[in-house]
Amino acid sequence: MEARERLTEAQINEDLLGPTLRTPRWFWPVAGFLALVVLAGVVSFGLMINRGLGLTGLDRPVMWGALITTFVFWVGISHAGVMISSILRLAQAEWRRPVTRAAELLTVFALSTAAIFPLIHVGRPWRLLYWFLPYDFPRMVWPNVRSPLIWDPAAIFTYLSGASLFVFVALLPDFALARDRTRGWRHRLYSVLSLGFRGSLRQWKLQAIAGILLSALILPVFVSVHSIVSWDFAVAMSVDGWHATIFAPYFVIGAVHSGVAAVVTVMALMLWLFGWKRYIRPEHFDSLGKLELAVGIGWFYFFFLEVVFGLYGLGGPDLAMKQMQLTQWPWSLLFGIFIVTAAFIPIPLWMFRRVRRSILAMFLVSISVNIGMWFERFLIIVPGLARKQPFAFSWGTYSPRPVELIIVAASFALVLLGLLLFTRLFPPIPIYDMKEGQVLHQDLQVGRRRVPGIVRE
Amino acid sequence: MVSHEHAPDLTPDRIAQDGLRSLLVSGPRFFAAARILGALFALGIVGFVLRLRGGFEDRAAWGYYAGLFAFLLATVGSAPMVAIGLRLTKANWRRPLARAAELYLVGGVFLFLLFIPLLYLVPSAQGRRTIWFSWPNAPHLWDAWALAMLVVCGLLVLYASAVPDFASARDSLPGGLRQRVFAWLACRWRGRQRQWAVQRGVLVLLGAFYFMLLVLVYTLISSDFAISMVPGWRDPLFPTYQALVGLQAGVATVILTMYLLRRIGYQEYLGVGPFWSLAKILLALSLLWFYFWFSGLIVLWYGRQPVEQNILKLLWYGPYLPLFLLTAVLNFVGPLLVLMWNPLRRSVVGPAIASGMILVGTFLDRIRFFVAAFSVEETGVALEHVPPAHLPDGIDMMIVVGGIAGALFIYLMATRVIPIMAIWELREGLLLRARATVVRLEAIVLGKPS
Repeated sequence: MEARERLTEAQINEDLLGPTLRTPRWFWPVAGFLALVVLAGVVSFGLMINRGLGLTGLDRPVMWGALITTFVFWVGISHAGVMISSILRLAQAEWRRPVTRAAELLTVFALSTAAIFPLIHVGRPWRLLYWFLPYDFPRMVWPNVRSPLIWDPAAIFTYLSGASLFVFVALLPDFALARDRTRGWRHRLYSVLSLGFRGSLRQWKLQAIAGILLSALILPVFVSVHSIVSWDFAVAMSVDGWHATIFAPYFVIGAVHSGVAAVVTVMALMLWLFGWKRYIRPEHFDSLGKLELAVGIGWFYFFFLEVVFGLYGLGGPDLAMKQMQLTQWPWSLLFGIFIVTAAFIPIPLWMFRRVRRSILAMFLVSISVNIGMWFERFLIIVPGLARKQPFAFSWGTYSPRPVELIIVAASFALVLLGLLLFTRLFPPIPIYDMKEGQVLHQDLQVGRRRVPGIVRE
Repeated sequence: MVSHEHAPDLTPDRIAQDGLRSLLVSGPRFFAAARILGALFALGIVGFVLRLRGGFEDRAAWGYYAGLFAFLLATVGSAPMVAIGLRLTKANWRRPLARAAELYLVGGVFLFLLFIPLLYLVPSAQGRRTIWFSWPNAPHLWDAWALAMLVVCGLLVLYASAVPDFASARDSLPGGLRQRVFAWLACRWRGRQRQWAVQRGVLVLLGAFYFMLLVLVYTLISSDFAISMVPGWRDPLFPTYQALVGLQAGVATVILTMYLLRRIGYQEYLGVGPFWSLAKILLALSLLWFYFWFSGLIVLWYGRQPVEQNILKLLWYGPYLPLFLLTAVLNFVGPLLVLMWNPLRRSVVGPAIASGMILVGTFLDRIRFFVAAFSVEETGVALEHVPPAHLPDGIDMMIVVGGIAGALFIYLMATRVIPIMAIWELREGLLLRARATVVRLEAIVLGKPS
């Protein structure tokens, strides 16, 4: 912790509520551009429905491609939000304050975007009803509930509901603040949303208890979601390289790796766009960098075990699968990009304090991590399916087509647009939390040094 | 809110006096404990010699010995991680418990000595399925090297942490042999700014290095001494599961040590706060225990492959089913039922009960895996026949009891050389702590230097 500027409550209100109540000049051009990209994605999806899945690069035996990769990627991104917010709240880490809301919002928007992808992927979205309705009504042939593919929607929607509730509870005091400083439709909106919050002792107590309870309860849900996504692959015997016991924790820690990086990206963008230098400081990036370093090394350890035990058989399909990923063109190129961008660039760089405290460097490294993590998921999914197996007599290969690439790009635009629109209505940094931080922050005189301190009892 | 800190009326002199007590004062309870543990340790050595006379051909006979080694690695090897981890995260509440945790590092030498006979039991990696892929001198040389690095690194961490306290002992003793020994150990420590900076740097760097080496050693031990012994067992999650159970046992070991320290007069330092904080970590690790176990099981269970079914039968629902059930109860169900309630979590007894259960559960868990792996005689690519449970004989019991007593005996002797409380850390805590009035409330402010 570092000595920091003392801010009055009025200053905090003005700084953090300002961009919500007054539209910045850059807002509409940026939002318009993102909306156009989303529209292009919608049109591509429409084309896919109209012309069929033949527009994609999917071909037997590779029937899961860039769209499912992007689904797994966004589920992964969604993981950091609640993890950062819950764990840092439970651990009472002071540096969490400006980070938590952006992280939670990332969960909500990334997860909502992820949930759209299976719909797009099936090509006939109405057939998604078969996920929970019988295939054959007269004979009552139901989907197999032992399949993780059936558990997926339940896990995702539980997580989405929990995360939304989590964001809402944390927003209550800020809704009340905005209500008291607005007129017209905004006032009416914030009045409804603030649920009569007046800042009484009892209301604060209930809000705090709800926050702690939700923090503790949502953690198992967060772990379960990506575990179930991993079991979509791991319980299947049909694809070599997928049937590994380590998949669930490997997916979860990989999700945290990419998710925390995404939080860094969003934090840097918020700092640059809204000019919140007094709130999002290098010490926050430093702390996020240390967290990323620990998570990154942990993820690399799981990755290492997955590779070593993939080769362990000294023969057979698993070895062939690893050989294909590591040595066969173009997978070898993708593997190189993946390992360099997700591990070899970021992990050593995070060891340096100067890098961790440089916002530009942290921003670039966070982008690098997510490029690598997208390729990681691609390399798990596609080569596994593309490898020649017994009893399959059609050997297409896979490369994503423009329709898929546009939809993937649109998903990034959709998440960014969601975040941007949110900032027009609600403050992306928890105002009440920042004020509490100011009250709890006290300097201590130790010898000749002034040491930043925090009130704990 | 319960204070995480030590009692407010402590002074630097009082801390030094209490901290040095373990070095300078030996009560009858100390001698009684030393005699009992020493006798049991001697019994263990006798058991070891008897086992040694049978040679290394019968690998199954050494299964309990391997289980004992794995159990001590989980406790003696992992307990210091509590001090190292909390120091890296700058948690203030670590101060009264850090030394009790890191003092287990002295047991590293004992661990290494225990490890040597195991090297005679594991076959070479040449022509076998191991993580070494026929690497020269694997796994013997490299496993021993990794463990040796862990032990040396641990001893350096302990020494770096204890140097300021050696200086305190040197300055508080009037003279004589002990004073000269502490002066030598203190290595001209005067508490200069540069010395403190070096000490902190060493603690952070070596602490992080110790953690990585510990994970490496878990990976090597679990893959070379368990997975590769059983044909067809290929479980990348197992090393991480072993590391996780090790951390769980390490935290439990520290909680039980704190409980004992309270019983011998350190209750003023070890209030409910550190128990409460460690209990939260223990609860999280217990939940992770279930998650790791379930993640491994569901994939093997869904696989339905004959080779995997035999592995499941050997390790879970076959001859060692009672041990597995007991482990599940003691490592997960029991701690969860105790620690899920805040009044119990926020007490001294609740975390101590949960810790006792976890240590017994971890011991059974290690026995289950290592005895089962050592009892397999088959080679090849798949386990065709599941061997029956290998029950312990008298010699196994002597070795196990003697081994655990030996580790405790070494810890007890170490308290005569290294203060059981980190005096410098507690004094630093006093400096970084002040009373303040926040709005209308009296509060404690904790300094967090960058």
